[in-house]
Amino acid sequence: MEFLNFLIILWIAWLVWRRPERESLAFGLLVLSSILMALLFLVGTHTSFIPGVNL
Amino acid sequence: MPATRRGLRDLLAGLVILLTVVPIGGALFLAVVHGDSPCILCWAQRTSMVLIALTGLFVLRFGPKPRYLGMAVLLGAWGTFMAFRHWALHMARDVGQGFAASIFGAHTYAWAWLIHWVVLLAIGVLLMFLGRNGEETWPREPGRAGRFAMPLFLVVVAANAVQAFVTTGPPPFLGQGDPVRFSFDPARWVWSTEELSGALSLRGSWTIPDPDASGVDPDPARGPLANLRTLPVSGWERLEATLAGTPTGFSFDPVRGRYLVVDEAYAVHVLDGALGRSLHRVVIDPSYSVDLTPLAGAAFLGDTLAVLSTNKSYVLLRADADADPDREWRRFLETDGAVTELRRGRFATVRARQMYVMSLAFDPSTDELVTVAVPSPRHPRLVVSRFARGDLQLSSEFEPRPGPGLELRGAERSLAEYLVTGAAVVDGRLYALSAAYSTLLVIDLEAKVVSAAWAIPELEGPVGLATRGDELLVLQADGRIAALDRPVGATTTD
Repeated sequence: MEFLNFLIILWIAWLVWRRPERESLAFGLLVLSSILMALLFLVGTHTSFIPGVNL
Repeated sequence: MPATRRGLRDLLAGLVILLTVVPIGGALFLAVVHGDSPCILCWAQRTSMVLIALTGLFVLRFGPKPRYLGMAVLLGAWGTFMAFRHWALHMARDVGQGFAASIFGAHTYAWAWLIHWVVLLAIGVLLMFLGRNGEETWPREPGRAGRFAMPLFLVVVAANAVQAFVTTGPPPFLGQGDPVRFSFDPARWVWSTEELSGALSLRGSWTIPDPDASGVDPDPARGPLANLRTLPVSGWERLEATLAGTPTGFSFDPVRGRYLVVDEAYAVHVLDGALGRSLHRVVIDPSYSVDLTPLAGAAFLGDTLAVLSTNKSYVLLRADADADPDREWRRFLETDGAVTELRRGRFATVRARQMYVMSLAFDPSTDELVTVAVPSPRHPRLVVSRFARGDLQLSSEFEPRPGPGLELRGAERSLAEYLVTGAAVVDGRLYALSAAYSTLLVIDLEAKVVSAAWAIPELEGPVGLATRGDELLVLQADGRIAALDRPVGATTTD
Protein backbone atom coordinates (compact mmCIF):
# COMPACT_ATOMS: atom_id res chain seq x y z
CA MET A 1 0.00 0.00 0.00
CA GLU A 2 2.97 2.29 0.61
CA PHE A 3 3.95 1.70 -3.01
CA LEU A 4 0.47 2.77 -4.12
CA ASN A 5 0.73 5.91 -2.03
CA PHE A 6 4.04 6.87 -3.62
CA LEU A 7 2.47 6.45 -7.05
CA ILE A 8 -0.31 8.83 -5.99
CA ILE A 9 2.28 11.31 -4.74
CA LEU A 10 4.14 11.12 -8.03
CA TRP A 11 0.89 11.83 -9.82
CA ILE A 12 0.23 14.85 -7.59
CA ALA A 13 3.74 16.23 -8.11
CA TRP A 14 3.37 15.83 -11.85
CA LEU A 15 0.10 17.73 -11.79
CA VAL A 16 1.63 20.54 -9.72
CA TRP A 17 4.63 20.83 -12.01
CA ARG A 18 3.15 20.20 -15.44
CA ARG A 19 -0.63 20.58 -15.11
CA PRO A 20 -1.14 23.51 -12.70
CA GLU A 21 -4.64 24.07 -14.10
CA ARG A 22 -5.61 20.80 -12.30
CA GLU A 23 -4.92 22.39 -8.92
CA SER A 24 -8.13 21.15 -7.31
CA LEU A 25 -7.55 17.58 -8.43
CA ALA A 26 -3.99 17.74 -7.14
CA PHE A 27 -5.12 19.00 -3.75
CA GLY A 28 -7.84 16.36 -3.53
CA LEU A 29 -5.24 13.69 -4.20
CA LEU A 30 -2.99 15.28 -1.57
CA VAL A 31 -5.76 14.88 1.00
CA LEU A 32 -6.38 11.30 -0.14
CA SER A 33 -2.69 10.46 0.13
CA SER A 34 -2.49 11.99 3.61
CA ILE A 35 -5.48 9.94 4.77
CA LEU A 36 -3.95 6.77 3.33
CA MET A 37 -0.68 7.53 5.12
CA ALA A 38 -2.51 8.09 8.41
CA LEU A 39 -4.53 4.89 8.00
CA LEU A 40 -1.41 2.85 7.30
CA PHE A 41 0.15 4.21 10.46
CA LEU A 42 -2.94 3.27 12.46
CA VAL A 43 -2.78 -0.22 10.99
CA GLY A 44 0.80 -0.45 12.19
CA THR A 45 -0.18 0.63 15.71
CA HIS A 46 -3.33 -1.48 15.96
CA THR A 47 -2.37 -2.85 19.36
CA SER A 48 -2.22 0.58 20.99
CA PHE A 49 -3.09 3.94 19.46
CA ILE A 50 -1.67 5.87 22.41
CA PRO A 51 2.02 5.35 23.17
CA GLY A 52 2.79 2.50 25.52
CA VAL A 53 3.98 4.74 28.30
CA ASN A 54 2.34 6.26 31.34
CA LEU A 55 0.06 9.18 30.58
CA MET B 1 7.64 40.91 -7.09
CA PRO B 2 9.15 42.55 -3.99
CA ALA B 3 12.61 41.31 -3.05
CA THR B 4 11.39 40.18 0.38
CA ARG B 5 8.67 38.06 -1.15
CA ARG B 6 11.08 36.57 -3.66
CA GLY B 7 13.47 35.75 -0.86
CA LEU B 8 10.71 34.07 1.09
CA ARG B 9 9.79 32.01 -1.94
CA ASP B 10 13.41 30.93 -2.46
CA LEU B 11 13.69 30.12 1.23
CA LEU B 12 10.64 27.89 0.99
CA ALA B 13 12.06 26.20 -2.11
CA GLY B 14 15.30 25.68 -0.21
CA LEU B 15 13.45 24.06 2.66
CA VAL B 16 11.63 21.75 0.24
CA ILE B 17 14.94 20.77 -1.34
CA LEU B 18 16.50 20.25 2.09
CA LEU B 19 13.61 18.04 3.21
CA THR B 20 13.69 16.10 -0.04
CA VAL B 21 17.42 15.50 -0.04
CA VAL B 22 18.32 14.95 3.62
CA PRO B 23 15.69 12.82 5.34
CA ILE B 24 13.84 11.44 2.30
CA GLY B 25 16.84 10.95 0.07
CA GLY B 26 19.02 10.00 3.04
CA ALA B 27 16.65 7.15 3.79
CA LEU B 28 17.32 5.79 0.31
CA PHE B 29 21.05 5.99 1.02
CA LEU B 30 20.53 3.94 4.19
CA ALA B 31 18.60 1.35 2.18
CA VAL B 32 21.00 0.97 -0.75
CA VAL B 33 24.26 1.25 1.19
CA HIS B 34 23.34 -0.31 4.53
CA GLY B 35 20.35 -2.47 3.58
CA ASP B 36 18.09 -0.60 6.00
CA SER B 37 14.38 -1.28 5.51
CA PRO B 38 11.66 0.86 7.09
CA CYS B 39 9.00 -0.76 9.21
CA ILE B 40 5.35 0.14 8.63
CA LEU B 41 5.57 3.00 11.13
CA CYS B 42 8.77 4.33 9.54
CA TRP B 43 7.09 4.28 6.13
CA ALA B 44 4.24 6.44 7.43
CA GLN B 45 6.67 8.95 8.89
CA ARG B 46 8.72 9.08 5.73
CA THR B 47 5.54 9.49 3.65
CA SER B 48 4.48 12.31 5.94
CA MET B 49 7.75 14.13 5.25
CA VAL B 50 7.25 13.58 1.53
CA LEU B 51 3.75 15.04 1.78
CA ILE B 52 5.05 18.07 3.67
CA ALA B 53 7.62 18.70 0.94
CA LEU B 54 4.86 18.26 -1.62
CA THR B 55 2.72 20.80 0.20
CA GLY B 56 5.67 23.18 -0.07
CA LEU B 57 5.56 22.67 -3.83
CA PHE B 58 1.86 23.53 -3.76
CA VAL B 59 2.72 26.81 -2.03
CA LEU B 60 5.48 27.56 -4.53
CA ARG B 61 3.14 26.91 -7.40
CA PHE B 62 -0.20 28.22 -6.20
CA GLY B 63 0.64 30.62 -3.38
CA PRO B 64 0.27 30.43 0.42
CA LYS B 65 -3.40 29.56 0.42
CA PRO B 66 -4.90 28.74 3.80
CA ARG B 67 -5.70 25.14 2.83
CA TYR B 68 -2.07 24.46 1.94
CA LEU B 69 -0.75 26.05 5.10
CA GLY B 70 -3.39 24.20 7.10
CA MET B 71 -2.44 20.92 5.46
CA ALA B 72 1.24 21.53 6.28
CA VAL B 73 0.39 22.16 9.93
CA LEU B 74 -1.80 19.05 10.07
CA LEU B 75 0.95 16.91 8.55
CA GLY B 76 3.52 18.37 10.92
CA ALA B 77 1.33 17.73 13.95
CA TRP B 78 0.39 14.22 12.83
CA GLY B 79 4.00 13.45 12.01
CA THR B 80 5.10 14.62 15.45
CA PHE B 81 2.55 12.28 16.99
CA MET B 82 3.55 9.38 14.77
CA ALA B 83 7.22 9.75 15.55
CA PHE B 84 6.58 10.07 19.28
CA ARG B 85 4.29 7.05 19.23
CA HIS B 86 7.01 5.10 17.44
CA TRP B 87 9.79 6.42 19.67
CA ALA B 88 7.76 5.52 22.76
CA LEU B 89 8.16 1.84 21.93
CA HIS B 90 11.87 2.14 22.63
CA MET B 91 12.59 5.27 24.66
CA ALA B 92 12.49 3.45 27.99
CA ARG B 93 14.86 0.67 26.94
CA ASP B 94 18.38 0.30 28.27
CA VAL B 95 21.36 2.26 26.99
CA GLY B 96 22.16 1.73 23.34
CA GLN B 97 19.02 -0.29 22.65
CA GLY B 98 16.54 0.62 19.96
CA PHE B 99 15.13 -0.42 16.59
CA ALA B 100 16.94 -0.45 13.26
CA ALA B 101 19.30 2.25 12.02
CA SER B 102 20.65 5.10 14.09
CA ILE B 103 22.28 8.32 12.89
CA PHE B 104 24.65 10.23 15.18
CA GLY B 105 23.45 8.04 18.04
CA ALA B 106 19.73 8.69 17.50
CA HIS B 107 17.41 6.25 15.79
CA THR B 108 15.44 7.28 12.73
CA TYR B 109 12.15 7.67 14.63
CA ALA B 110 13.82 10.19 16.95
CA TRP B 111 15.00 12.14 13.92
CA ALA B 112 11.50 11.94 12.42
CA TRP B 113 10.12 13.54 15.57
CA LEU B 114 12.70 16.35 15.38
CA ILE B 115 12.09 16.97 11.68
CA HIS B 116 8.32 17.21 12.07
CA TRP B 117 8.75 19.47 15.06
CA VAL B 118 11.11 21.75 13.12
CA VAL B 119 8.62 21.77 10.24
CA LEU B 120 5.99 23.16 12.60
CA LEU B 121 8.44 25.81 13.79
CA ALA B 122 9.34 26.72 10.21
CA ILE B 123 5.69 27.07 9.24
CA GLY B 124 5.17 29.41 12.18
CA VAL B 125 8.12 31.56 11.14
CA LEU B 126 7.02 31.69 7.51
CA LEU B 127 3.51 32.67 8.55
CA MET B 128 4.91 35.53 10.63
CA PHE B 129 6.72 36.91 7.61
CA LEU B 130 3.61 36.65 5.47
CA GLY B 131 2.11 39.31 7.73
CA ARG B 132 -0.84 41.27 6.46
CA ASN B 133 -0.07 40.40 2.85
CA GLY B 134 -0.80 36.76 3.49
CA GLU B 135 -3.87 36.79 1.30
CA GLU B 136 -1.94 37.84 -1.79
CA THR B 137 -1.51 35.28 -4.53
CA TRP B 138 2.06 34.43 -5.36
CA PRO B 139 3.29 34.11 -8.98
CA ARG B 140 2.32 30.80 -10.49
CA GLU B 141 5.83 30.28 -11.84
CA PRO B 142 7.92 28.79 -9.01
CA GLY B 143 11.20 30.57 -9.73
CA ARG B 144 14.63 29.08 -10.28
CA ALA B 145 14.88 27.23 -6.97
CA GLY B 146 11.33 25.96 -7.34
CA ARG B 147 12.02 24.73 -10.85
CA PHE B 148 14.92 22.76 -9.45
CA ALA B 149 12.90 21.45 -6.50
CA MET B 150 10.09 19.96 -8.56
CA PRO B 151 12.01 17.50 -10.76
CA LEU B 152 14.27 16.69 -7.81
CA PHE B 153 11.19 15.81 -5.79
CA LEU B 154 9.89 13.59 -8.58
CA VAL B 155 13.17 11.71 -8.87
CA VAL B 156 13.53 11.13 -5.13
CA VAL B 157 9.91 10.06 -4.72
CA ALA B 158 10.21 7.72 -7.71
CA ALA B 159 13.21 6.11 -6.04
CA ASN B 160 11.21 5.79 -2.84
CA ALA B 161 8.43 4.15 -4.82
CA VAL B 162 10.92 1.58 -6.08
CA GLN B 163 12.06 0.86 -2.53
CA ALA B 164 8.45 0.64 -1.38
CA PHE B 165 7.71 -1.85 -4.13
CA VAL B 166 10.70 -3.97 -3.16
CA THR B 167 10.11 -3.98 0.60
CA THR B 168 6.32 -3.75 0.90
CA GLY B 169 5.04 -4.96 -2.45
CA PRO B 170 2.04 -3.90 -4.51
CA PRO B 171 -1.42 -3.59 -2.90
CA PRO B 172 -2.82 -5.29 -0.89
CA PHE B 173 0.58 -5.93 0.68
CA LEU B 174 1.79 -3.32 3.13
CA GLY B 175 4.66 -2.48 5.45
CA GLN B 176 5.82 -4.88 8.13
CA GLY B 177 6.58 -4.61 11.83
CA ASP B 178 9.95 -6.31 11.43
CA PRO B 179 11.05 -5.83 7.81
CA VAL B 180 13.86 -7.84 6.25
CA ARG B 181 17.11 -6.34 4.97
CA PHE B 182 16.80 -4.39 1.69
CA SER B 183 17.92 -6.26 -1.38
CA PHE B 184 17.59 -5.87 -5.15
CA ASP B 185 17.36 -9.66 -5.40
CA PRO B 186 13.66 -10.57 -5.87
CA ALA B 187 14.30 -13.88 -4.14
CA ARG B 188 14.89 -11.92 -0.92
CA TRP B 189 11.74 -9.83 -1.10
CA VAL B 190 9.10 -10.46 1.55
CA TRP B 191 5.61 -9.13 0.96
CA SER B 192 3.11 -9.45 3.76
CA THR B 193 -0.28 -8.40 5.12
CA GLU B 194 0.49 -9.55 8.67
CA GLU B 195 -0.05 -6.06 10.10
CA LEU B 196 -3.74 -6.27 9.25
CA SER B 197 -4.25 -8.93 11.93
CA GLY B 198 -4.80 -8.15 15.60
CA ALA B 199 -7.41 -6.35 17.64
CA LEU B 200 -7.85 -2.59 17.68
CA SER B 201 -7.13 -0.98 21.01
CA LEU B 202 -6.67 2.48 22.46
CA ARG B 203 -4.07 1.52 25.06
CA GLY B 204 -3.13 -2.05 24.19
CA SER B 205 -1.23 -3.82 26.92
CA TRP B 206 -1.59 -0.73 29.12
CA THR B 207 -5.33 -1.33 29.54
CA ILE B 208 -5.09 -2.57 33.11
CA PRO B 209 -8.21 -2.48 35.29
CA ASP B 210 -7.80 -1.18 38.82
CA PRO B 211 -7.30 -4.06 41.22
CA ASP B 212 -10.53 -4.94 42.97
CA ALA B 213 -11.13 -7.85 45.30
CA SER B 214 -14.77 -7.04 45.99
CA GLY B 215 -16.23 -9.13 43.20
CA VAL B 216 -14.11 -12.27 43.47
CA ASP B 217 -15.50 -15.74 44.10
CA PRO B 218 -14.64 -16.65 47.73
CA ASP B 219 -15.44 -20.37 47.43
CA PRO B 220 -12.25 -22.48 47.62
CA ALA B 221 -14.07 -25.41 46.05
CA ARG B 222 -14.13 -23.54 42.75
CA GLY B 223 -10.48 -22.45 42.83
CA PRO B 224 -7.82 -23.63 40.38
CA LEU B 225 -6.16 -26.00 42.88
CA ALA B 226 -8.01 -29.23 43.57
CA ASN B 227 -8.41 -31.29 46.73
CA LEU B 228 -7.23 -28.69 49.23
CA ARG B 229 -7.43 -29.37 52.93
CA THR B 230 -9.22 -26.85 55.09
CA LEU B 231 -7.34 -24.65 57.51
CA PRO B 232 -9.76 -23.84 60.34
CA VAL B 233 -9.97 -20.47 62.05
CA SER B 234 -8.87 -20.99 65.62
CA GLY B 235 -10.25 -17.74 66.93
CA TRP B 236 -11.52 -14.30 66.05
CA GLU B 237 -10.23 -10.92 67.19
CA ARG B 238 -11.32 -7.46 66.23
CA LEU B 239 -9.73 -4.22 65.19
CA GLU B 240 -11.04 -1.93 67.92
CA ALA B 241 -9.33 1.28 66.81
CA THR B 242 -11.29 3.68 64.65
CA LEU B 243 -9.95 3.98 61.11
CA ALA B 244 -10.60 6.62 58.50
CA GLY B 245 -11.74 4.00 56.02
CA THR B 246 -11.75 0.31 55.18
CA PRO B 247 -8.47 -1.38 56.12
CA THR B 248 -6.34 -2.53 53.19
CA GLY B 249 -3.05 -3.72 54.71
CA PHE B 250 -1.82 -5.31 57.93
CA SER B 251 1.38 -6.31 59.70
CA PHE B 252 2.62 -7.27 63.19
CA ASP B 253 5.85 -6.23 64.92
CA PRO B 254 7.00 -9.22 67.00
CA VAL B 255 9.62 -7.18 68.85
CA ARG B 256 7.37 -4.47 70.21
CA GLY B 257 4.08 -6.30 69.98
CA ARG B 258 2.38 -3.58 67.89
CA TYR B 259 0.37 -3.63 64.70
CA LEU B 260 0.54 -1.65 61.48
CA VAL B 261 -2.67 -0.99 59.57
CA VAL B 262 -3.26 1.06 56.44
CA ASP B 263 -6.66 2.03 55.12
CA GLU B 264 -8.28 3.25 51.94
CA ALA B 265 -8.09 6.89 53.13
CA TYR B 266 -4.27 6.85 52.97
CA ALA B 267 -4.08 6.66 56.75
CA VAL B 268 -1.28 4.72 58.42
CA HIS B 269 -1.99 3.51 61.95
CA VAL B 270 0.40 2.02 64.47
CA LEU B 271 -1.76 0.23 67.04
CA ASP B 272 -0.99 -1.26 70.41
CA GLY B 273 -1.06 -4.98 71.15
CA ALA B 274 -4.74 -4.88 71.98
CA LEU B 275 -5.56 -3.39 68.57
CA GLY B 276 -7.53 -0.69 70.33
CA ARG B 277 -5.24 2.26 70.93
CA SER B 278 -3.52 4.29 68.26
CA LEU B 279 0.16 4.82 69.02
CA HIS B 280 0.78 6.83 65.87
CA ARG B 281 -1.32 8.00 63.00
CA VAL B 282 -0.61 9.90 59.81
CA VAL B 283 -2.56 10.47 56.62
CA ILE B 284 -0.17 10.46 53.69
CA ASP B 285 -0.56 13.05 50.97
CA PRO B 286 -0.83 10.83 47.88
CA SER B 287 -0.10 13.62 45.40
CA TYR B 288 2.49 16.27 44.56
CA SER B 289 5.32 13.76 44.64
CA VAL B 290 5.64 10.07 43.85
CA ASP B 291 1.95 9.45 43.32
CA LEU B 292 0.18 6.86 45.38
CA THR B 293 -2.83 4.87 44.30
CA PRO B 294 -4.80 3.35 47.21
CA LEU B 295 -2.63 1.84 49.92
CA ALA B 296 -2.65 -1.94 49.74
CA GLY B 297 0.14 -3.35 51.89
CA ALA B 298 2.11 -2.74 55.08
CA ALA B 299 5.17 -4.25 56.72
CA PHE B 300 7.51 -3.62 59.63
CA LEU B 301 11.18 -3.35 58.66
CA GLY B 302 12.40 -3.26 62.20
CA ASP B 303 11.54 0.25 63.39
CA THR B 304 10.75 1.39 59.88
CA LEU B 305 7.19 1.29 58.66
CA ALA B 306 6.79 0.36 54.99
CA VAL B 307 3.53 0.99 53.21
CA LEU B 308 2.79 0.18 49.60
CA SER B 309 0.16 1.42 47.18
CA THR B 310 -1.37 -0.67 44.42
CA ASN B 311 0.83 1.01 41.78
CA LYS B 312 3.94 -0.26 43.60
CA SER B 313 4.85 3.13 45.00
CA TYR B 314 6.15 2.88 48.54
CA VAL B 315 6.58 5.15 51.54
CA LEU B 316 8.97 4.49 54.39
CA LEU B 317 8.05 6.05 57.74
CA ARG B 318 9.45 6.04 61.23
CA ALA B 319 8.08 7.02 64.59
CA ASP B 320 10.05 10.05 65.66
CA ALA B 321 9.30 12.03 68.78
CA ASP B 322 11.41 14.88 67.41
CA ALA B 323 9.64 15.05 64.05
CA ASP B 324 9.49 18.57 62.65
CA PRO B 325 5.81 19.38 61.92
CA ASP B 326 6.78 22.10 59.44
CA ARG B 327 9.00 19.74 57.47
CA GLU B 328 6.42 16.96 57.48
CA TRP B 329 3.50 19.21 56.54
CA ARG B 330 4.27 18.77 52.87
CA ARG B 331 4.12 14.97 53.18
CA PHE B 332 1.14 14.38 55.45
CA LEU B 333 -2.43 15.61 55.25
CA GLU B 334 -2.73 14.79 58.95
CA THR B 335 -0.17 13.71 61.51
CA ASP B 336 0.10 13.14 65.22
CA GLY B 337 3.39 15.06 65.04
CA ALA B 338 5.59 12.10 65.90
CA VAL B 339 6.16 10.43 62.52
CA THR B 340 8.78 11.20 59.87
CA GLU B 341 8.73 10.19 56.23
CA LEU B 342 12.10 8.66 55.37
CA ARG B 343 11.66 7.98 51.70
CA ARG B 344 9.09 7.72 48.96
CA GLY B 345 9.72 5.86 45.73
CA ARG B 346 8.54 3.31 43.21
CA PHE B 347 9.34 -0.36 42.86
CA ALA B 348 10.39 -1.21 39.32
CA THR B 349 9.64 -4.73 38.17
CA VAL B 350 10.20 -6.75 35.03
CA ARG B 351 7.81 -9.69 34.98
CA ALA B 352 5.26 -7.80 37.09
CA ARG B 353 5.43 -4.68 34.93
CA GLN B 354 1.98 -3.30 34.05
CA MET B 355 0.52 -5.20 37.00
CA TYR B 356 -0.81 -3.90 40.29
CA VAL B 357 -0.17 -5.32 43.76
CA MET B 358 -2.35 -5.65 46.86
CA SER B 359 0.14 -6.95 49.41
CA LEU B 360 3.54 -6.33 50.95
CA ALA B 361 5.72 -8.58 53.10
CA PHE B 362 9.19 -8.33 54.60
CA ASP B 363 11.66 -11.20 54.71
CA PRO B 364 14.10 -10.47 57.56
CA SER B 365 16.31 -13.43 56.69
CA THR B 366 17.23 -11.96 53.30
CA ASP B 367 16.45 -8.34 54.13
CA GLU B 368 14.05 -8.09 51.23
CA LEU B 369 10.60 -6.70 50.65
CA VAL B 370 8.23 -9.00 48.80
CA THR B 371 5.20 -8.26 46.64
CA VAL B 372 2.78 -10.49 44.78
CA ALA B 373 1.33 -9.05 41.57
CA VAL B 374 -2.39 -9.04 40.89
CA PRO B 375 -3.15 -10.79 37.59
CA SER B 376 -5.20 -8.90 35.01
CA PRO B 377 -6.89 -10.00 31.78
CA ARG B 378 -3.97 -8.46 29.89
CA HIS B 379 -1.34 -10.07 32.08
CA PRO B 380 -2.69 -13.28 33.63
CA ARG B 381 0.33 -14.07 35.75
CA LEU B 382 1.07 -14.53 39.42
CA VAL B 383 4.45 -12.91 39.96
CA VAL B 384 6.44 -12.78 43.18
CA SER B 385 8.92 -9.88 43.25
CA ARG B 386 11.64 -9.34 45.83
CA PHE B 387 13.38 -6.04 46.46
CA ALA B 388 16.61 -5.50 48.38
CA ARG B 389 16.01 -3.28 51.35
CA GLY B 390 19.38 -1.61 50.88
CA ASP B 391 18.67 0.06 47.56
CA LEU B 392 15.01 -0.93 47.12
CA GLN B 393 15.79 -2.32 43.68
CA LEU B 394 14.51 -5.59 42.25
CA SER B 395 16.64 -8.50 43.40
CA SER B 396 14.68 -11.44 42.00
CA GLU B 397 11.36 -12.26 40.47
CA PHE B 398 9.55 -15.44 39.54
CA GLU B 399 6.24 -17.03 38.67
CA PRO B 400 5.65 -19.86 41.15
CA ARG B 401 4.41 -23.17 39.83
CA PRO B 402 2.46 -25.83 41.70
CA GLY B 403 4.80 -28.04 43.71
CA PRO B 404 4.63 -31.79 44.24
CA GLY B 405 1.27 -32.93 45.53
CA LEU B 406 -0.64 -29.95 44.21
CA GLU B 407 -2.91 -30.40 41.24
CA LEU B 408 -4.75 -27.95 39.04
CA ARG B 409 -8.37 -28.78 38.30
CA GLY B 410 -7.71 -28.71 34.58
CA ALA B 411 -5.22 -27.70 31.97
CA GLU B 412 -7.02 -24.40 31.48
CA ARG B 413 -6.76 -23.47 35.16
CA SER B 414 -3.89 -21.41 36.50
CA LEU B 415 -2.40 -20.01 39.70
CA ALA B 416 -2.99 -16.62 38.09
CA GLU B 417 -6.65 -16.96 39.09
CA TYR B 418 -5.67 -16.20 42.66
CA LEU B 419 -5.74 -12.61 43.82
CA VAL B 420 -3.34 -12.13 46.71
CA THR B 421 -4.39 -9.41 49.15
CA GLY B 422 -2.16 -10.32 52.07
CA ALA B 423 1.38 -11.65 52.41
CA ALA B 424 3.91 -12.48 55.10
CA VAL B 425 7.25 -14.29 55.14
CA VAL B 426 8.44 -16.75 57.78
CA ASP B 427 11.47 -19.04 57.51
CA GLY B 428 11.86 -18.65 53.77
CA ARG B 429 8.19 -19.33 53.09
CA LEU B 430 5.92 -16.71 51.61
CA TYR B 431 2.39 -17.00 52.92
CA ALA B 432 0.19 -15.45 50.28
CA LEU B 433 -3.50 -15.16 51.02
CA SER B 434 -5.86 -14.96 48.07
CA ALA B 435 -9.23 -13.28 48.43
CA ALA B 436 -10.27 -15.17 45.32
CA TYR B 437 -11.19 -18.71 46.39
CA SER B 438 -10.17 -17.93 50.02
CA THR B 439 -6.95 -19.86 49.65
CA LEU B 440 -3.64 -19.63 51.48
CA LEU B 441 -0.67 -20.33 49.22
CA VAL B 442 2.60 -21.32 50.86
CA ILE B 443 5.38 -20.41 48.43
CA ASP B 444 8.90 -21.72 48.88
CA LEU B 445 11.03 -18.70 48.00
CA GLU B 446 14.09 -20.85 47.37
CA ALA B 447 12.47 -23.52 45.20
CA LYS B 448 10.03 -21.01 43.63
CA VAL B 449 7.10 -23.39 43.95
CA VAL B 450 3.81 -23.39 45.79
CA SER B 451 4.73 -26.04 48.30
CA ALA B 452 1.33 -26.15 49.98
CA ALA B 453 -2.10 -24.57 49.76
CA TRP B 454 -5.01 -24.46 52.17
CA ALA B 455 -8.65 -23.61 51.83
CA ILE B 456 -10.00 -21.18 54.44
CA PRO B 457 -13.72 -21.02 53.66
CA GLU B 458 -14.57 -19.02 56.76
CA LEU B 459 -12.92 -15.85 55.45
CA GLU B 460 -14.91 -12.90 54.16
CA GLY B 461 -13.02 -10.18 52.33
CA PRO B 462 -9.43 -10.68 53.52
CA VAL B 463 -7.28 -7.56 53.02
CA GLY B 464 -4.11 -8.27 54.99
CA LEU B 465 -1.98 -11.01 56.49
CA ALA B 466 0.42 -10.95 59.44
CA THR B 467 2.36 -13.49 61.45
CA ARG B 468 2.31 -13.57 65.24
CA GLY B 469 4.38 -16.35 66.71
CA ASP B 470 3.00 -19.60 65.34
CA GLU B 471 -0.16 -17.90 64.18
CA LEU B 472 -1.31 -16.26 61.02
CA LEU B 473 -3.63 -13.30 61.42
CA VAL B 474 -5.99 -12.43 58.61
CA LEU B 475 -7.46 -8.94 58.66
CA GLN B 476 -10.78 -8.63 56.89
CA ALA B 477 -12.35 -5.53 55.38
CA ASP B 478 -15.00 -5.58 58.14
CA GLY B 479 -12.29 -5.22 60.82
CA ARG B 480 -12.47 -8.78 62.09
CA ILE B 481 -9.23 -10.70 62.43
CA ALA B 482 -9.09 -14.46 61.94
CA ALA B 483 -6.37 -16.29 63.88
CA LEU B 484 -5.03 -19.48 62.27
CA ASP B 485 -2.39 -21.97 63.23
CA ARG B 486 0.40 -21.33 60.79
CA PRO B 487 0.90 -24.45 58.64
CA VAL B 488 4.43 -25.61 57.95
CA GLY B 489 3.75 -28.87 56.12
CA ALA B 490 5.09 -29.44 52.65
CA THR B 491 1.88 -30.66 51.13
CA THR B 492 -1.73 -30.15 51.98
CA THR B 493 -3.73 -32.24 49.60
CA ASP B 494 -5.76 -35.27 50.60
